[in-house]
Amino acid sequence: MADLTQNEKRLLVALAQDRHADIVSLAAQLNATPEAVVQWAHLAMDKGLVRLERTVKKTFVYTAEGEEYLKSGLPETQVLVGIGDGISLAGLQKLPAFKIGFGQLRKKGLVTVTGGMVTKAAGATTADDDAALKHPQAGGARVKDLIKRNLLQETETVGHTLEITPTGLALGKSGLDLREETGTLTRDQILSGEWKDLNLRRYDVTNLPKKAYPGKIHPYQRIIAEMREILLEMGFTELYGSIIQQSYWNFDALFQPQDHPAREMQDTFYLGETLPLPAGYERVKAMHESGGDTSSTGWGGVWKEEKAEQCVLRTHTTSLSIQYLAENPTPPVKAFCIGRVYRRETIDTTHLAEFEQLEGIVMDEDVTFGNLLGILREFYHRMGFEGVRFKPSYYPYTEPSLDAEVYVDGIGWIEMGGAGVFREEVTAPFGINYPVLAWGLGVSRIAMLRLGLKDLRNLHRSDVAFLRETPALRRRDGGA
Amino acid sequence: MAVISLPYRYLERLTRTDRKTILNKIALIGSDIERTEEDHVDVEFFPDRPDLFSPEGVARAMRGFLNIETGLPVYPVTPSGLSFTVDPGLAEIRPVLCAAVIRGLSFDDESIQSIMSLQEALHWAVGRGRSKVAIGIHDLSKVTGPFRYIAAPRDFSFVPLDYTESMTMEEMLEKHPKGKAYAHLVNNFKKFPLILDAHDQVLSFPPIINGELTRVTTGTTDILLDTTGTDRRAVMRAVSIVCTALAEAGGKLESVTIDGQVCPDLSASARTISVAECNKLLGLSLTPEEMAALLHRMRFGATPDGNGTLRVDVPCFRGDIMHNWDIFEDVAIAYGYENIQDNPPDTFTVGKPHPVQVLAMLVRDVFCGLGYLEVMPFTLTNEEVLFTRMRRKERAGILHVLHPISIENTVVRTELLPLLMEFFTLNRHRELPQRLFTVGDVVVDCSTYQQASGVSTHPDADFSEAYALADVVLHELSVEYTVTESDDPAFIEGRRADILVNGKKAGVFGEIHPLVLNAFALEHPVAGFEIDLRAVPGYPGH
Repeated sequence: MADLTQNEKRLLVALAQDRHADIVSLAAQLNATPEAVVQWAHLAMDKGLVRLERTVKKTFVYTAEGEEYLKSGLPETQVLVGIGDGISLAGLQKLPAFKIGFGQLRKKGLVTVTGGMVTKAAGATTADDDAALKHPQAGGARVKDLIKRNLLQETETVGHTLEITPTGLALGKSGLDLREETGTLTRDQILSGEWKDLNLRRYDVTNLPKKAYPGKIHPYQRIIAEMREILLEMGFTELYGSIIQQSYWNFDALFQPQDHPAREMQDTFYLGETLPLPAGYERVKAMHESGGDTSSTGWGGVWKEEKAEQCVLRTHTTSLSIQYLAENPTPPVKAFCIGRVYRRETIDTTHLAEFEQLEGIVMDEDVTFGNLLGILREFYHRMGFEGVRFKPSYYPYTEPSLDAEVYVDGIGWIEMGGAGVFREEVTAPFGINYPVLAWGLGVSRIAMLRLGLKDLRNLHRSDVAFLRETPALRRRDGGA
Repeated sequence: MAVISLPYRYLERLTRTDRKTILNKIALIGSDIERTEEDHVDVEFFPDRPDLFSPEGVARAMRGFLNIETGLPVYPVTPSGLSFTVDPGLAEIRPVLCAAVIRGLSFDDESIQSIMSLQEALHWAVGRGRSKVAIGIHDLSKVTGPFRYIAAPRDFSFVPLDYTESMTMEEMLEKHPKGKAYAHLVNNFKKFPLILDAHDQVLSFPPIINGELTRVTTGTTDILLDTTGTDRRAVMRAVSIVCTALAEAGGKLESVTIDGQVCPDLSASARTISVAECNKLLGLSLTPEEMAALLHRMRFGATPDGNGTLRVDVPCFRGDIMHNWDIFEDVAIAYGYENIQDNPPDTFTVGKPHPVQVLAMLVRDVFCGLGYLEVMPFTLTNEEVLFTRMRRKERAGILHVLHPISIENTVVRTELLPLLMEFFTLNRHRELPQRLFTVGDVVVDCSTYQQASGVSTHPDADFSEAYALADVVLHELSVEYTVTESDDPAFIEGRRADILVNGKKAGVFGEIHPLVLNAFALEHPVAGFEIDLRAVPGYPGH
């Protein structure tokens, strides 16, 4: 029983004498509040040292009116005295207590009124009522009547009686260290050496500590940072750029036909703003209309400048990749971007109108489609996915195109992102003469797996409790 | 995406193998199996391959892929003797017409459904919602050639499909379900497109609705196909796909003449590809013969010509082949992505982080050290949150989304602090103190840049806390600043300050105004701070 607090010890010693006591008297004896003593008693009770009993005591309190009658006698007593051997009703009415007192006497049948004269009934007395007022603890119908008349109030007080158990008694008599306990060690105590003689309060290590909440980065940002780290390690240059893009860079430069469904208002967020087309846009126009100088047929039809000038919220970060390549057409180029992109989707648990996309590009003289598969396998391995496989897919600006799938324990193969080689129709207008390997993936899909999220919105409209409770180091569950 | 229903028995008969073999390999030609049912499978194909939008087209591709029947499929076409004329008045309305006859078909309810699904999928993928291409399929026995494609007055009447009474074309646009759905494609024209037979019986009001007269039923054996549109290439592509699918189903193809021109033309187009270029792009080392064999499996004609090149005959239904690389992709698919050596390239480069992201990470470090928790609000928000609740005037240069999904997402954020206030509202029931920060993009006048903001709420949050926060963050970021009293109405007068860097306002901090707290339904004081990170030394472009 070494883990008794100082207060529990004092309580046991105090109880060891009389075996039991009520809390109030114990509190007085221990110079503490009854609430504190109850708290200590609970601790000791958990260890089987005391038994705590709850007692309910009834007490009576006089109202102001009751208090007054206690001194002057009940109004009926006063009136009864006033009657004496008989008195005229008019005379009796002069008594201040008449109104209440006379009513009570009539109710109790102690008076009779004949021809304006009031006389007592035989043996009339209110002594029992006065006694009830003086000693309400006795109880009875008369006391109840006084309560009804609002002269008395009955209150219940809850008390605690404490009894020491044999274990507690043995401990209490065994000689406990009752030296004053020290909570916080002071500078003076440390410097003076006084600490050597102190009885430092012990803590119960089984009690949980008070919660501390660290400042920390968002769990989603942590995943983004990890991907960024991997790509930097793999020698990629990071890109950052505008959320607002001209349709030209977002679609046309990527050989997306002007009547492509993804360009419609239902799928893309358009803005009222327009921006002038960059120099050399005619090459993009020629590519769309007739395939330029390549083996392509182009899309045919007429390519309209005004459609390309419209500004949109970027639907992918590929708009940044192509601008970067246009500015840096000399190989090698290895670049990546993790950024917010926008799709006009109705927001629900698994769809957001804005989400992070990761995109990487590699441009070099001799890079191949096989190299693209190799980069993807390496990247996904580093993200913790052992099983990676590829299958044919379609993207308007890559050829050949593929989708990458990763294996997740308990779920199976899931699609993780798309990739491909930029079409010559995309690269040729910007004088990019070597293959560009490109791949992209939705970062939130990995976040959902890693964080076990059921609702993607919680990434952006987060419950603070979710952020506080998600540990910085997470086990790589779900294979990720 | 187009999801195509493939009945097993029909697919097995056409492919000439069992369903298990087909389902095992179908994803490898570029598809996703959506659902497998008792008697059929639903498969999603990509929009660049509308030739796979029918069981007949899938069977044709799978026979090749599984080596059951390879090489260029040939579809003989004989003249039908039927002819069409096209009214020059359609030039501005819907000028292109192509037609064909398919005889000897036998329909049941399932195959009628199947041909209608193909029609709808083509309207979506090739026709762009019927604007570029609209397809009509008619029972040939009900009409008599020659046929005329004319621009007709809007009050011309006939009985449209699914109706028993005649109505004017104008009425159809108002009453008929298809009329209502596609009215926007023709409503601007003074006249409407119409296809009539020799006795002025109506075949079709393209691109809206056919006549009831030529409805295809289980008794139909001979079909007249009409395809109209605004883009000749797209119209031809759709016709090739429908004709060859019906030929695969057992039909005999016949041509018609349109203003004297024979239609349809189902001949292959020739391309010459370099074996070396293809090998180089894919990372393979195939011989010309091997490459030709792979292309045969993808239903191309391919002949090595001895000069390191292949002559490739592209079947008429492969309108997606725009460029030689499109053929290279088919080589890769036939070879199998799983068989391609996947080595990362040995391109040597050094990783280079972007300075804006480096700064953002630094900002996160500083705030985290101060006990602030990062949040990542949406970048789309609304004027109510940004301005009304903050008691601020709408900022110039804010960008409005033209067609927002909801009133919650109407503008791109120009500030971060109001969004953090929203987080406090969301988390009213969570333990205090709460200290939150965010760093990220804001957009003003089409220009994207980064800001950072931190907020603190608890019973003792005040101006001093905001000032201390602003001061330490700016110090850690080496920003030399001065302050001046602010007039920002989001804060309490006398408890607010503007941050000036090089004499220009770069941020603000203070104690949030109680009216703002009320607007966000908050009960405790909030100390807030926001800084434009372009004020930090070394921010790119500043």
